[in-house]
Amino acid sequence: MASEEPSIVLYTTQTPNGIKISITLEELGLPYKVQKIDISKNTQKEQWFLDINPNGRIPALTDTFTDGKTINLFESGSIMQYLVAQYDKDYKISFPPGTREFYEMNNWIFFLNAGVGPMQGQANHFTRYAPEHIEYGVNRYQNETRRLYGVLDKHLSSKNIPYLVGDKCTIADIAHWGWIASAGWAGIEINDFPALKAWEDRMAERPGVEKGRHVPDRHGIKDLLKDKEKMEKHAAENRAWVQAGMKDDAEKHKGKK
Amino acid sequence: MQSIDAIKPIKIHVLPAGPNPWKPVLILEELGLPYSLNFISFEDVKKKPFTDINPNGRAPAIEDPNTDLTLWESGAIIQYIISQYDTNHILSYPSYALKETHLCNQWLAFQISGQGPYFGQAAWFNVLHPEKLPSAIARYNAELKRILSVLDGALEGRQWLVGDKMTFADLAFTVWNDRIEDLILCEKEKKFEGFPNVQAWHERMTSRPAWKKAMEKREKLMDEHGLLPNGMPKGFKSHGEFHASVEAKRKAEAAEVKE
Ligand SMILES: N[C@@H](CCC(=O)N[C@@H](CS)C(=O)NCC(=O)O)C(=O)O
Ligand SMILES: N[C@@H](CCC(=O)N[C@@H](CS)C(=O)NCC(=O)O)C(=O)O
Repeated sequence: MASEEPSIVLYTTQTPNGIKISITLEELGLPYKVQKIDISKNTQKEQWFLDINPNGRIPALTDTFTDGKTINLFESGSIMQYLVAQYDKDYKISFPPGTREFYEMNNWIFFLNAGVGPMQGQANHFTRYAPEHIEYGVNRYQNETRRLYGVLDKHLSSKNIPYLVGDKCTIADIAHWGWIASAGWAGIEINDFPALKAWEDRMAERPGVEKGRHVPDRHGIKDLLKDKEKMEKHAAENRAWVQAGMKDDAEKHKGKK
Repeated sequence: MQSIDAIKPIKIHVLPAGPNPWKPVLILEELGLPYSLNFISFEDVKKKPFTDINPNGRAPAIEDPNTDLTLWESGAIIQYIISQYDTNHILSYPSYALKETHLCNQWLAFQISGQGPYFGQAAWFNVLHPEKLPSAIARYNAELKRILSVLDGALEGRQWLVGDKMTFADLAFTVWNDRIEDLILCEKEKKFEGFPNVQAWHERMTSRPAWKKAMEKREKLMDEHGLLPNGMPKGFKSHGEFHASVEAKRKAEAAEVKE
């Protein structure tokens, strides 16, 4: 067994959406191979990758399915749901299907993927990458991100629970962690949300989180946020690929003639 | 399996102008399940008592008396309705068809985190925001097209996203796609220009009785509450004017609370 190649391959980059999956895999103790995707070189837009994820985004994951054939998966939320459905038979980081907790867990995963992720992503865009400074855009998305953080903070503090669905850390928590840990990048002060900050620290103490967050490269956001100069350099590098990517997308996806 | 007659109506809270509440309604219609609509106004959605149901202050949310479960986030609601009530797999695959099951969930996740948020931002910068910000409009219009092109590619040579039947994953995309002309202010006939597969797929779904019924209910509910089909209250000249009035009301209320 031990010498066998892992059947799971994770295609990823050092980003909040990427580390959700590596942390999930570490928490479950599953063997997996990592293939690093260089988004600054637009590797995610190459045909071989689009065959795995037609949306051209990381994370994506392939696995040998129960029928012996390969299954291609994308969208971090559905990848997490897949991993626990297939591999978390002891409910280490999930709840049994059909239980109230199971549905609540999914509720928070959707909240992250439809709310915090896209909105904090737009806050990053207008705060760090946009071609021109639009004060309105910065405020709109920082405010919405803060509102969403407030929902999380209140949920944790008013119910006095250590994790989003009670006493157990689940994929709902794991989905949030990378985004909350990089709040400062979007211009959000995490200390304004004390219960959420305490939750972030609690999560960081978990060995699975510690291991999974450094995939495929070191998780450097915390150090970065301490160093203004490095931050500006990092933003400039990202700005270049985000803007090139936007231009490229706008050209390519005008529709068929 | 439960007989449909034994199922008590599922209460679904809707803010009828928004697209998202109509995703689960469409699923309920397609499954022929009993439900009741509860109207939430734009003014009430971020306040108690609704925030006791959904702390995120958004619609939809459901309360299911059959299981005593309260749930929010349209994607989580859809997964719940399917796993709890679609036991004959009219809109889904049986759980032993694992691959199809997960692929349906994948496309649903793409809808809620790709189509929904980005189409919503396109609407914001094209329509709702009073100041015209060309680079922001260009950003979200391009993203809208990119998402249509991902769908168009996935539908090449096929009728449905997963396997050979219509599932909840297909249906989840209809409500936002149906109003593209209102989001980016283009001609209705041109909204799918360049994306023929998406257009044919969209029309396959919106020609069904369930879609028509859901949209009739939407219009009726809007009309009862003095809203025009585009979501604007009767009597306001523009969205901007309407939002300004809501904002003013909110501020006045907040000031009252402080005093
Ligand atoms: N909703 C998607 C979002 C994925 C996403 O935004 N991925 C980013 C990195 S964090 C990406 O691959 N961007 C590349 C690009 O836009 O070209 C998910 O949750 O998987
Ligand atoms: N093409 C994207 C590139 C940036 C990107 O992919 N950002 C990711 C974070 S690394 C994001 O915002 N994801 C939003 C989400 O996860 O929903 C853009 O122009 O914003």
